[in-house]
Amino acid sequence: MSGRGLGLSPRQIALWVTGIAIFLLLPRVITDPYLLHVAILGMIFSIVASNWDLTLGYAGVFNFAHIAFFGIGAYTSGILAVRFGISPWIGIIAGAIAATIVAAIVSVPAIRLRGIYVALLTFAFAQLALALIVSQTSFTGGISGLVGVPGLSIGDYQFREHPVAYFYLIGAVLLASTLFLRRVVTSDFGLSLIALRDFEEYAVSRGVPLARQRFLAFLFSSIFTGVAGALYVHYLLVASPEVFGFSLGTLFLSVILVGGAATIYGPVIAGVVLTYISEMMAPLGPIRFMVLALLIIVTMWFVPQGVWGLLTRGFSRRNVTLPPEGLEADPDSPYGAGEEPGPAR
Amino acid sequence: MPLNVDRVSAGYGKVVVLHDISIVVGQGERVGLFGPNGHGKTTLLRAISGLIRPSSGSITFDGAPITTLSPREIVDRGLVQSPQGNTLFPRMTVLENLTLGAYAGHAWSQRRESLERVFALFPKLAQRQGQLARTLSGGERQMVSIGMALMGKPSLLMLDEPTLGLAPKIKDELAEAISAIAATGVTMLIVDQDIELLLGVCQRLYYIENGRVSLETREGERIDRQQILEMYFGTAPR
Amino acid sequence: MSVDTLVAILVSGFVAGSLYALMASGLSLVWGTLRMFNFAHGTLLMLGAYAAWYFSDSKGLDLGLSVGILVALILLALGGILLYALLVRPFIARPGADLVVIITTLAGASFLQNSAQEVFGPRYKQLDRVVKGQVEILNTAIGLQELLIIILTPIVLLLLALFLKRTKLGLAIRAVEQNHDSALLAGVNVGRIYPLIFAVSAMLAALAGIMLGGLFFITPVMGSDPLLRAFIVVVFGGLGSLPGTIVGAYVIGIIEAIAVFVVGLYWAPVVLFIVLILVMILRPTGLMGGKE
Repeated sequence: MSGRGLGLSPRQIALWVTGIAIFLLLPRVITDPYLLHVAILGMIFSIVASNWDLTLGYAGVFNFAHIAFFGIGAYTSGILAVRFGISPWIGIIAGAIAATIVAAIVSVPAIRLRGIYVALLTFAFAQLALALIVSQTSFTGGISGLVGVPGLSIGDYQFREHPVAYFYLIGAVLLASTLFLRRVVTSDFGLSLIALRDFEEYAVSRGVPLARQRFLAFLFSSIFTGVAGALYVHYLLVASPEVFGFSLGTLFLSVILVGGAATIYGPVIAGVVLTYISEMMAPLGPIRFMVLALLIIVTMWFVPQGVWGLLTRGFSRRNVTLPPEGLEADPDSPYGAGEEPGPAR
Repeated sequence: MPLNVDRVSAGYGKVVVLHDISIVVGQGERVGLFGPNGHGKTTLLRAISGLIRPSSGSITFDGAPITTLSPREIVDRGLVQSPQGNTLFPRMTVLENLTLGAYAGHAWSQRRESLERVFALFPKLAQRQGQLARTLSGGERQMVSIGMALMGKPSLLMLDEPTLGLAPKIKDELAEAISAIAATGVTMLIVDQDIELLLGVCQRLYYIENGRVSLETREGERIDRQQILEMYFGTAPR
Repeated sequence: MSVDTLVAILVSGFVAGSLYALMASGLSLVWGTLRMFNFAHGTLLMLGAYAAWYFSDSKGLDLGLSVGILVALILLALGGILLYALLVRPFIARPGADLVVIITTLAGASFLQNSAQEVFGPRYKQLDRVVKGQVEILNTAIGLQELLIIILTPIVLLLLALFLKRTKLGLAIRAVEQNHDSALLAGVNVGRIYPLIFAVSAMLAALAGIMLGGLFFITPVMGSDPLLRAFIVVVFGGLGSLPGTIVGAYVIGIIEAIAVFVVGLYWAPVVLFIVLILVMILRPTGLMGGKE
């Protein structure tokens, strides 16, 4: 992978072009409005999941607040539109900014802490965000959510009367997001993230600024996620607390893992596919999420590198083992850097 | 041959540390391993104890293969190690640490007698029975470590760097204790950097370099201290 | 503040603290031995409550409360072992195991939560109280169930502590916690310790669920908030220290009760979250944590 530009080989460019062509032609083929709806949702979820892959997969940070970035983008834009009459287009930008600010705030305590502490901290934060949203009923509509969110429009052209417009817009955003992510991960910054993930002590000793890189990873991952959140509410025309919810989070997690962590492309494609499967199962109620959860578990058992990982890397897994007499860190210390003696290495 | 390590290769992930290494320890023998740091001595002991699985080769103890056995099964058969480094249970008392040494099957029922013997060998430990392990000095920790191995009623006792990092006076104390243990006739495999200690206790030595045996002294052969020191340090010490 | 308000705060603080202590002890045991976090721990609480309900309630098998509680504890012990076997053990030797286990146990939690909803339906259930009625202390009415919780939990925890300190198995568990490799070399069957830990941890969670189910409602998501509190408690009390965890649980319980009184139910979680952040920034090893 070259470090400059997008680092795309001719074959990959061909794949891209094919993908874009398929995308442009898709609405001609899909006439069923429900399928179009699922495709739109799928693309939104692809944006969220692939951006989450940046912190979870590439940086190896146990960021469980990502869903809060999505939710905050959603509610920011929704509240601005419903309570303050602000145009959804501005709302989308506001949503991205809000998500980024939140990401910055959450990341400050998170970046110096070790894996498990970050998981707890960010998980707690996401729950907190949910609790706050549900409680501030006057602003947010509480548990029933915010209704009457306006759809997108350009002049008199109302997107909700022409869902195809949403399809193309969100597709374009997905494209932009994916290009952005690819640029980030193939750059020196991206490589430094991977170095920190796999060889933290070594990378730090070579001068890689741990805190700064992780902070930036948080920020980068939140931008398009916030946008996706705003697009979500302006498409569905409601904002409900489920955007912070466990169920949606499970879906995103399954998209990353089944698609392939640290691949970007994997979650992008898996997003649409799994959303489709999930929506197909909607009549089954809770069973739908049971299936997704099982999918995650089975994937971790047999194909932890995900489908895309399987296609591109074969069966070899990321394998980093260190000799036990190497790094004796206090295992209960919240500060990482190095492996510590633990169960069977 | 109670212990027969036959052409074992082993390592950690992709890092190979031991290359086709072979050593034997005879019944009642005391064998020493020495050589530069990081060249596989500890890895060898870990492989023997079952903490690492060799990628090739075999290890036999008392005639039975132990290459693929779990550490617990190996200890059950009487092959016990006092490992290098941070090996005690820090928030437990000396007594609890020693008691854990006798955890495996047959040793548990005899733990009271074993305890008396360990306290006779290391009177300091008897005094400090109720102390937490993390409050002990380096020398005392080594005593506990060796004591724990003895509690397991070993038929083959392995000591990994028993005198590492200790002051000369403590080293002497430990060396005496190790000689006393040797005098009971138990088979021993000792890794240490202190050649004098090894020469004082062991009948045969292996010099291990780059995960291989570079030199082996034969039993009964007069061990040329000068030659060994020369080889170890590069030149004869002045 | 009047006396009965103070008593009410103390009671709810100690009840909450007891529940959190039970939950957090289980998490602490798993962390201590495996260095991993079980995100499905909250669902174990929930399943314990449902199991007890199903076996005891007239709409279930109607076998009476004692049977219900006993069966629930046994079933959950087995469930804990199953959880370990499916969601933890396959991943122990892999690099990055602790992240993987977070993901698999999160998925497991989702699976269990939705199964409960599927099987029992979304309508709330209520478990019978073990002891009904109230008593007057200092002019305040206190539920007997609450009192039972406050008295019983320390006893259970004491039994746990005795088990760990005085029995051979307890010694083995502490050995695995303090030095995994040395425990192996001492001949401890570490492979059997892990499922045992999960079984004990699950039983503690089930007990918490049974008590909670008698006080409030049983719902598929009832384990989610206690789990979060338990997380805060283990960080606050110090990862790897059981006494710290237990003390921390009661402290957090009281803090929460005071917070509810002062800022209200909706903002109390914010207070706890701020506590969590402060602990992580100022004293990440917790009250009594930090070893060696």
